[in-house]
Amino acid sequence: MTKYSCPYDPFTSVRKEQGIHLGTFNGEKIPMILRPKDIKAAAMDTETFSSDTPYRVPIPSEEEVRKYRQLPIETNPPEHTDYRNLIEPLFRRPAKREFIARIEALITDQLNAALAAGEAIEVVSEFSLPLQCKALTLLLNVPMSESERWLRWGMNVFTGENRVEKGSQLEQYLDEKFTQALADEPGDDFFSILAHAELKGRRLTKDEMMGYGNLAFAGGRDTVINMVTAVVGYLAEHPDDLVRLRETPKLANTAAEEFARVVSPVGHIGRTCPAGATVAGHTIEPGQRVALTWGAANFDESVFEDPEKIRLDRKPNPHIAYGFGAHTCIGATHARTIIRTLFKVLSEHLERIEFIECTQNREAGPNLDRHAPYDTLTVRFMSRNQP
Amino acid sequence: MPTVTYIEPDGNRITIEHAEGTLMEIALDNDVDGIEGSCGGVCSCSTCHVRIPQEWREKVGKTNPAEQDLLDFKVDADESSRLGCQVELTPELDGLVVQVEKL
Repeated sequence: MTKYSCPYDPFTSVRKEQGIHLGTFNGEKIPMILRPKDIKAAAMDTETFSSDTPYRVPIPSEEEVRKYRQLPIETNPPEHTDYRNLIEPLFRRPAKREFIARIEALITDQLNAALAAGEAIEVVSEFSLPLQCKALTLLLNVPMSESERWLRWGMNVFTGENRVEKGSQLEQYLDEKFTQALADEPGDDFFSILAHAELKGRRLTKDEMMGYGNLAFAGGRDTVINMVTAVVGYLAEHPDDLVRLRETPKLANTAAEEFARVVSPVGHIGRTCPAGATVAGHTIEPGQRVALTWGAANFDESVFEDPEKIRLDRKPNPHIAYGFGAHTCIGATHARTIIRTLFKVLSEHLERIEFIECTQNREAGPNLDRHAPYDTLTVRFMSRNQP
Repeated sequence: MPTVTYIEPDGNRITIEHAEGTLMEIALDNDVDGIEGSCGGVCSCSTCHVRIPQEWREKVGKTNPAEQDLLDFKVDADESSRLGCQVELTPELDGLVVQVEKL
């Protein structure tokens, strides 16, 4: 039995009728803003909708798992601009041809290993997670061997029952890396760049470095894993699209955007309104938090024709899966390169992907939660070069 | 095929002859500084912002709704602004000169 329901929109009627859904997260009432225009306006108004709230940009909050502000995400402009500029050049590298070639080699190797084994694989843990970890070593410009340590942390570093323990594992790791980087000569990897950076004439504090490190690992882990898995699952159920992608390689670009839209890996993120606000006719109290619900905006039928249908050639595709404004995801270039290249490699090498089974969670809950496309997905890759 | 010139943020001029595609695609193919085209041209970012000189605006044409929606949120956008991904370089635009803004 096949079960594909990656694009799904629990917000359809409430977005149209109310524009806001009142969510409750760990007992805190958080209005969830659902319409694209309202979300974009809020994202641009960093004074009314502030990110200067340590531990409280992610919803519900992360006091339990870290002791420092995530950077640059938990700051407002103008400080935010200075913080972001320190690592922006490193995070723009994935647009360059040499980087793309390395990602292609990495994905090809990952796929070939799966093909050589010849067996069914569980995609999340045996394909997407290792791929994400190895790709991250390229982004952070550290040796590929570092990925072996990160793999052992598993999925969901900050969620799930072991989150406090995993959070402290990450903290120990980051502390070790930054301490070493401070002792070493300046280099061009993520840890060294921060250890030796100057921000308005001063060096960063250890807490600031840890804040960057925490986000680098939190931001791009299950997001990338979920998109990679969704692509594999989709192509397993739509073998004709493997052919289309092979015949029209440029399709990978629009396809990557479409998957960002329908997966919306970061479903929502928080802002705090120090002075209160009014959104879609709803009053936000002073000090109250709101959720910018990217995952709801990306299915707005007034913006996207047939929003629950995946169209690999969708254009325009004004999704906000990577956010909007000053805090637009700094990892987006990297994510786009991975997903575009994934489409390319899978379509070039595979005759078909055989769907075997999957587990999915589609329980909406009171907050109309959008879950990962797959908790597990088992497939068999079938090479075009099979005898 | 038409010729297009990009004036980069630092004033450097890059002229491309026999150019094909959208202003974003041509810029990316020729490593024009200031054009990133993050979203690959689907009107989801605004990193292909160009300014069209007054004398070219009628030929280049106005923004489309998805494009205008993005430019409305861009602080440095004005009536000269277009997103490069939404402008196809047609033969009528032979000789076009555009200004690229700093990202």
